Amino acid sequence: MSNINGKVYAMNAITPMKPWKTWILRGFFVVLGRVKPLQQDLINLSFIEFARWVVLPRKRFPYLGNGQKREELQYDYLLFFSNFNGTWNQYIDAFSAVLSRGLNLIWRWSEKFPGSVPVTPFKTYIARVQFDTDYYYTAYPRATANDLKSAHIVQASLDTLSQHAQDYTPAQFAEAYLRFVIQVQAHLGETGEAPVVF
Amino acid sequence: MANKSGSVYGLTILSPIIDDEMATPSHDLQIRAYLATLATDDKSPFALAPGTHLARLVVMDDVIYVGMPACEEHLKSKYLVLESNFDGELDNYLGGLADTVPQQLDAIWGHCVAYPGAANRQAFIDYMKACQLDTTFYFAAVNDKSLPDTLRALHTRSAVVDFIADHQGMAPARLQAEFIQFVAELRLEPIPGPGAMAIPRDIKTGGKDE
Repeated sequence: MSNINGKVYAMNAITPMKPWKTWILRGFFVVLGRVKPLQQDLINLSFIEFARWVVLPRKRFPYLGNGQKREELQYDYLLFFSNFNGTWNQYIDAFSAVLSRGLNLIWRWSEKFPGSVPVTPFKTYIARVQFDTDYYYTAYPRATANDLKSAHIVQASLDTLSQHAQDYTPAQFAEAYLRFVIQVQAHLGETGEAPVVF
Repeated sequence: MANKSGSVYGLTILSPIIDDEMATPSHDLQIRAYLATLATDDKSPFALAPGTHLARLVVMDDVIYVGMPACEEHLKSKYLVLESNFDGELDNYLGGLADTVPQQLDAIWGHCVAYPGAANRQAFIDYMKACQLDTTFYFAAVNDKSLPDTLRALHTRSAVVDFIADHQGMAPARLQAEFIQFVAELRLEPIPGPGAMAIPRDIKTGGKDE
C-alpha cells in the first residue's frame, strides 16, 4: 500500500448506485462540465492536482472472454480518484467545509451516503468506500498544486522581462525588474520534502 | 465524455486479473508483489516513458458493501486499475509506454486476462482501449502546460528565488548585467527529469484516518 508519494496523496473510492439514479448524476456532471463558474469551489480548494469521477454501469465492466466470468451486478458504480496535497483528514475536512453542496449533489445518489455535513459520518463513509493504492508515481513529488501554478507564473514573468532586458537602459531595467519582483513575490517559495504524517 | 481537460488526458483502465485456482501465489498477489518493488523515482516506467504527470496502479479486489438496506454483491474478477494523467493523445501515450518499458508492462499486465504483450504495439494499444473506462468528469488544476514545461517552470522558480535573494539593493547596471547572464545560464542548465526529485520513503503510510 502506498497512498502517498512526496506531497501528493492518491485516493480511490467506489460507491454503489441504483442504475436509474446514474442518469441524474450524469446530467449533473454535464452541467458541471459546461458551466465553468460551478467549478470555482473545486479550483479554489487549490490542493487538488487531478481528480476524476467515473460512472461505471453494471454491464460495462470490461469483459474480454478467455475464461473471464461476466459480472452480474445490481448496482452501477461511481469511481472517484483524487490526487491531492495534504493529509486525508485535511482533505475530507476541506471537502466537507467548502464543497458540501457540490459533494452532496454528486454522492447523494450513492447508497447509504450520509451527506457531507456533519463531517464525522461523512468521514466514516469515505473510509468505508476507499481502497488503497498499490503503486503511485508523480513526476514532481516535491511540488504541490499551488507550486505548479506559481512556477508557471514565475516562468511567464521571467520570460517577459528577459525578452527586453538587453534593450533597457540600467534605469529602465531597474524599474522593470522591480515590477517583475512585485509580480512574482507572492509566487516564490522553495519546494522541498513533504512533512511526514503518521 | 470527459477524458480530456485542456491538453491533459485522464486515462482510466480496468483490466480483469486472471482467476486461476492453480496459481500460487494468485495473480493479484503477484501483481502487488511486483508493484511493491517497482521504482517510483526517475527509474519508474512512467518516468522513462514520455508524458506522465501522475499515475497509479491499484488492485481492486471487489466492490464495497456499504451496509443494510443496500444489497451485498461481489465481483467475479479482481481488476487492475490504471489511473494516469498525461500530455497529448491516447494512442501516442500507450505506444510510448509499449516502446519504452515493455518489460515492466508485461510483468504487470501479464497477470491480466487476454493481455497480448507489449511487443505487439498495436495489439497492446487495442487491449488497453478495450479495458478503458470513459471519465464522466475530469478536473486538472493546470491543464494547459506540458510536463516538460512544468518541470522547467519548477526549476526556474527555484533559481529565481535565489537570484532575487542574492541581488537585493544592487546597482542597476550591475543588476542588469547579472540578470542577463543569469537567464543565459539558466537556459543551458539541465532540468531535473520526471520523478528525479523523489524522496525515499521507507515507511509506507497514508492510510485512511490520518
